[in-house]
Amino acid sequence: MTVDASSPVLDCRGLVKSFGPTRALAGVGFAVHAGEAAAVMGPSGSGKSTLLHCAAGILRPDAGEVRLHGERIDELNEERRSALRRTAFGFVFQFGQLLPELPADENVAMPLLLDGVGRADAVARARAWFGPLGIGGLERRRPGELSGGQGQRVAIARALVARPAVVFADEPTGSLDQATGQETMAVLVDASRRGGAALVVVTHDAQVARWCDRVVEMRDGMVVREWHAPAREPVRA
Amino acid sequence: MAVGWRLLRSADGRNRIGAVLVLAAVCVSTALLMFAVGANHAFDARAAREAWRFPRADAHGTAVEAASTDYVRGRPITVVELARAGAHPPVPPGMTTFPRPGERWVSPALATMTGHLPADELADRFAGRGAAHRLGPAALVYPDELVAVIGRAATDPGMTARREDDGGAASPTRISAYATTTPSTSDATGYTILAKIAAVLMVVPLLVFGGAAARLTAARRDQRLAALRLVGATPRHVVVMTVAEAVVTALLGVVVGLAVYAAATPPLTRITMMGGSWFLGDLWPGPLWLAGVVVGVPLLVGASAVVGLRRVVVSPLGVASRQTPPRLKAVRAAVAVALLIAFTVAAREAGRLGAGIVVALLGLAFLGLNLLGPWVVGVIGRIVAGTARGVTGLLAGRRLVDDPRATWRTVSGIALVGFVAGFLALFDPSGAPGMDTATNRLGIVVRAADAGAVANHVRGRLDRAHIAARVTVRTVPSPDRVGVTVWPRDGGDVDRVRTALAGTVPGHVFTTPADESSGEQTLFRDIRTGTLVVLVVSFLVAMVSAGITSVSSVLDRRRAYALLRLAGTPLSVVHRARLRETLVPLAVMGGGSLAAGLVCGLPLALASPVSPYGLTLFGSFVVLGTLGVVAATLVSRPLLHAVTESPSPQPD
Ligand SMILES: Nc1ncnc2c1ncn2[C@@H]1O[C@H](COP(=O)(O)OP(=O)(O)O)[C@@H](O)[C@H]1O
Ligand SMILES: [Mg+2]
Repeated sequence: MTVDASSPVLDCRGLVKSFGPTRALAGVGFAVHAGEAAAVMGPSGSGKSTLLHCAAGILRPDAGEVRLHGERIDELNEERRSALRRTAFGFVFQFGQLLPELPADENVAMPLLLDGVGRADAVARARAWFGPLGIGGLERRRPGELSGGQGQRVAIARALVARPAVVFADEPTGSLDQATGQETMAVLVDASRRGGAALVVVTHDAQVARWCDRVVEMRDGMVVREWHAPAREPVRA
Repeated sequence: MAVGWRLLRSADGRNRIGAVLVLAAVCVSTALLMFAVGANHAFDARAAREAWRFPRADAHGTAVEAASTDYVRGRPITVVELARAGAHPPVPPGMTTFPRPGERWVSPALATMTGHLPADELADRFAGRGAAHRLGPAALVYPDELVAVIGRAATDPGMTARREDDGGAASPTRISAYATTTPSTSDATGYTILAKIAAVLMVVPLLVFGGAAARLTAARRDQRLAALRLVGATPRHVVVMTVAEAVVTALLGVVVGLAVYAAATPPLTRITMMGGSWFLGDLWPGPLWLAGVVVGVPLLVGASAVVGLRRVVVSPLGVASRQTPPRLKAVRAAVAVALLIAFTVAAREAGRLGAGIVVALLGLAFLGLNLLGPWVVGVIGRIVAGTARGVTGLLAGRRLVDDPRATWRTVSGIALVGFVAGFLALFDPSGAPGMDTATNRLGIVVRAADAGAVANHVRGRLDRAHIAARVTVRTVPSPDRVGVTVWPRDGGDVDRVRTALAGTVPGHVFTTPADESSGEQTLFRDIRTGTLVVLVVSFLVAMVSAGITSVSSVLDRRRAYALLRLAGTPLSVVHRARLRETLVPLAVMGGGSLAAGLVCGLPLALASPVSPYGLTLFGSFVVLGTLGVVAATLVSRPLLHAVTESPSPQPD
C-alpha cells in the first residue's frame, strides 16, 4: 500500500487493557508519524509501559486496535507479532538488554543475524553505527566494560540497526545521571530521526520529554493532555 | 528451620527454582562428602580391626602370637595361633577369653563354610577339643571374612618354627598386648592412603558446588537488592539477610543430604573392597566428624555467599555484567600433555613399578585432564564463535569463551569417563598379565636340606588320606630353598589335599598358583571397583553441575533474555544456543578423552586387544551420561520461559 505522508506510521485507537481488576488502559488513542519523536509521560502506574507494550505488539489489548502502516497488527498471532517486533520495531530499555558475553558490535548485530543477514555483513553494518553515536572504538568491548551511557548508546544502535519503522524506548535514561541522561536522549532522538524511524519514549521525567516533538500525558490509563514541545536548539551527536 | 521454610515459601516461582537448586546442590554435596569421609573412616576402621593380627614384639610378653594365610575354595582364611607364655595373656578383640590349647574360635562365615563342606576339605584342618567358639565382629576386617584363632601350647612346633614372613604370615612372636595400628607396609595402610587421595579429589568439586550454590543465592538476592536498598536497607542488612538465607538453605540441604546418605549406606556396604563388604558402622564416621559436616557445610556455603555478594554490593550489576575473562594460559595445555605423556611412559614400566604407582599416575593423568579441560573448552569456544555464521553458534561460542570452567564442570564427568573407558577398553583388570591362576597343583617352599624329609612326609600323609598325587621337588629363585609341589591326579580336589597336609610343615600352608596371585587379583578387582565408584560420583557431580550451570546462566542473563524476547527474538534460538554450548564440548571432550585414554592404556594392553568390559562400560556410561547432562541442561528450559514471561521485566 502507499503510505500517505500525513497518515501516521503507528496508530492506536480505543485501547483497553486490564490485568485482573486493574484497568491499566481505559481507552487510549495514540499515533506517531514518520520521523516524529513522541514522549509518553505520566506518574508511575499510569499505564505508560502498558501502552507501549500494546502498541509494540508485545501485549494484546482487550479492546481497540493497533495499525502499523494502516494494517491491523493486534490481531496477528504471537509468532507474527514476534517477527514484526524483530523487523519493524526497535527497542531501548532502562538497562540490562545487552548480552554480557557478546562484544558490543555483536550485540548490535543481533537483530540482523536473527533476520538471516550474513555474519560479516551484519557486523559491518553494526559497526557503522558506532562512530555517529559517539562510541567509536568501543566495538569490541563487553557490556560489562561500558559505562551506563555508553551501554545505552550501544542499545540505541541495536534498536536502529535493522532500520525499524518505530523505535520504542521505555525509561531509556532511568538508570543514568541527569547529564548522561540528557546526552543519551539527544543521541536517541537524533539517531532515530536520521534513521527515518518514528520514536516513542516512555518517561516520567519532564526533562527527558523535553527532547521530543510532542508529549502525551497519561493518568490512570487515560490520555489527559497532549502538547507540542517548544522548539529546542539543534542536537549535536 | 521455620525461618528457612518461610524464606523458601515466600520466594516467588523463579526464586524457588534457585532455592531448590541450592538445596539439591548442598544435598548432593553433603551426601558425597559423607561418602568421602565415611569411606576413609571405613578403611581406617578396617585397618584398626586388622591390626591385632600383626604381632608387636615384646621380649617380656605373656603370649606368643603367629599368623598365616590358608585358603579354601580360592578364598583366603586368616589363621592366628596363640599360646600362653605367662600370667594374664591379653585377650584378643572379638573374644571373651584367651584360647586354651586346642580351643578354636572361628568367624561366622568360616563356621558356615565348615558346616557346608565335607570335614576332609576344611574342618579337619582345625581339628581340636570341643566345639569351635564364635569370633565377634571386633576381630573381623569385614563381616564375611574367614578367620580362625587357634589356641596352642607354647611348646607346640607351630609356635616355635619360623615362617616365611610376608603380607599373609608372621612368625611366632612374644607379645604383651595386641597392636592397634597396622604396619605401614600392609595393604590396609596403602588403601587408607588411596582413600584419602580419593576424598581430596571428591571434596574439590564440592567446594566448587558450595561456591556455585552461594553464587546462585547471591544472584537471587541481587534481584531484590535494588528494592531493598530503596526501602532503606544498608549493604550490611543485605549481606546479613543473604548469608542467613544461604546458611539456612544449606542447613536444610545438609539434613536432606544426611538422610540420603543414610538411605544409601546399606547398598554401599555391599561394595566389595579387599575381598569383602563393610559393616554398616564403618561407613558412619564418628560424631565429631558428623558435627563437623553439619556445621562446616553451611558455614562454607555462607562464607562463599559473602564472597559472592561482595561483588554485588560493590557493583549492583556485578553479577550480570562480567568483564572480558582473562584467557587461560596455554601453559595449562603443556603441563597437561606432559602429565599424560609421563603416565604413558611410566605405564610401560607398570610391571616394575607396581599397581600402586600406576594408580597414582592415573590420578595425575586425571589432574592433567582437568588442567587441559577448561583450556580446550576455551579454544573450542573461540573456534565456534569465530566460524559461526548464525546467532546460535555465536551465542554458544561466546558463552564458552566467557566461562570455560563452567562448561568444563558440566562435561568433565563425561570426559573422565571417556578417559577411564578408553583406558579400560585396553586394560581389563580382570585378566591381568603374567598371573598364574592354575589350581592343578599345590606348593610349599622349605629349606633345601629338609626337602627330602618333607617330600616323604607329604607322600605318607597323602597315602593315609587315600589321595592319588605326584610329589615333585623343584628349585626356586632363592639359593638355599626348594619348592615341594603336589600334583593331584585327575585334577583331584585341592582343598582335600590341603586339609590332608595341614600342619605338615608347622606354620606353612600349601598353596596353588591361583591362591598366590589372589592378592594381586583382589587388587585389580579393587581398581575396577574404585574406577566404577569414581565414574558414578563423576556423573552425579556432572548432573548437578550441569543443572547449576544452566540455571545460574539463565538467572544471570534473565533480564537480557527477557528483553530479547520482548524485542522479538524467538526463544528457540536461545534454546538451541544453550544446547549447543553443552553438546559441542561434550562431543569434543568425550571423544578427545576417549582417545587419550586409549593412548594411555596402550602400553598396558593386555591379553585381548579390546576388552568387552571396557567397551560395555564406555558405551553405557557415555550414552547415559550424555542423556543425563542434556537432561540436566534442559531443566533450565522452563525456567527460561518463566523468567522471560512477564511483558514488563521489572528492574528487580
Ligand atoms: N503484568 C502485569 N500484571 C498485573 N498488573 C500489571 C502488569 N503490568 C502492569 N500492571 C498494572 O497496570 C498498571 C499500569 O502499569 P504500567 O503500564 O507499568 O505503568 P507505568 O509504566 O506508567 O508505571 C499498574 O497499576 C500496574 O500495577
Ligand atoms: Mg513503566
